[in-house]
Amino acid sequence: MLIFSVFKTLTDQRVTVELKNDLCITGVLKSVDQFLNIRLDAIKVLDEARHPHMMAIKNCFIRGSVVRYVQLPAEHVDTQLLEDATRREAANQAKR
Amino acid sequence: MDETTPPPPPNEASPPPPPPITTSGSPTDFLKGVVGKRVIVRLTSGVDYRGVLSCLDGYMNIALEQTEEHVNGTLTNRYGDAFVRGNNVLYISAAEAL
Amino acid sequence: MDPSSTGIQEPFDLIRLSLSERVYVKLRGDREVTGILHAYDGHMNLILSDVEETIMIVDVDAPLEERRAVKMAKRKMEMLFVRGDGVILVSPPSRT
Repeated sequence: MLIFSVFKTLTDQRVTVELKNDLCITGVLKSVDQFLNIRLDAIKVLDEARHPHMMAIKNCFIRGSVVRYVQLPAEHVDTQLLEDATRREAANQAKR
Repeated sequence: MDETTPPPPPNEASPPPPPPITTSGSPTDFLKGVVGKRVIVRLTSGVDYRGVLSCLDGYMNIALEQTEEHVNGTLTNRYGDAFVRGNNVLYISAAEAL
Repeated sequence: MDPSSTGIQEPFDLIRLSLSERVYVKLRGDREVTGILHAYDGHMNLILSDVEETIMIVDVDAPLEERRAVKMAKRKMEMLFVRGDGVILVSPPSRT
């Protein structure tokens, strides 16, 4: 849930999603769900020469399970807040 | 041979020692027994981690201390502490007497 | 009674104690990253900053015994989400 919340705070920011098949897609994060499925708008594929079939695509839905990394805009991530939230979630998990 | 009587079995009076715990008990008993001991953790990739088992959980996530990484027999890395994600684990083997 | 000298009770304690520290993460696909850990969850999804990724490129033509990384591709990323299913191992900085 914690990571889901982080992604929700980053909606309308530009992110770069790297898939497990090495495809890198940069776009505006439009929405995310609990599985970390991601909807991107105004997308751009990094290596267009290698993936010419992606050129016509303006927006996409990415299944969470095929994601390797997401590069986040550091200026919109409060690292102190993240660490506190992570400790809180870890404490709640331990109680169960 | 002229000797016909076989030698008597040694100390017939005392019962045989109980079998070592390694040969009995449930998998959970084994895992409880190896905590704090030297173990070899083999991953499905074939990589081995040798170290002292700090603890583990129900997903077989594992915390190791003084860990050595071995790839087909050769030492490739050392870690003071290491967390291994359970889905990668093939087996845990005791590397010292329990 | 502690099972070990460090007094951690479950594997995730090791990760929790590494928050805001630089960690080493070994990933599937001959990849490694180091970065400062800011968040994680029970899937081992991670958020790291000041990240350096190393990709080992293995020579598949070499005989099996000497298939070491022949090339290392490195890159840096400011803030990175790493999906947990790719994680093999996480190692905190040594606390000696």
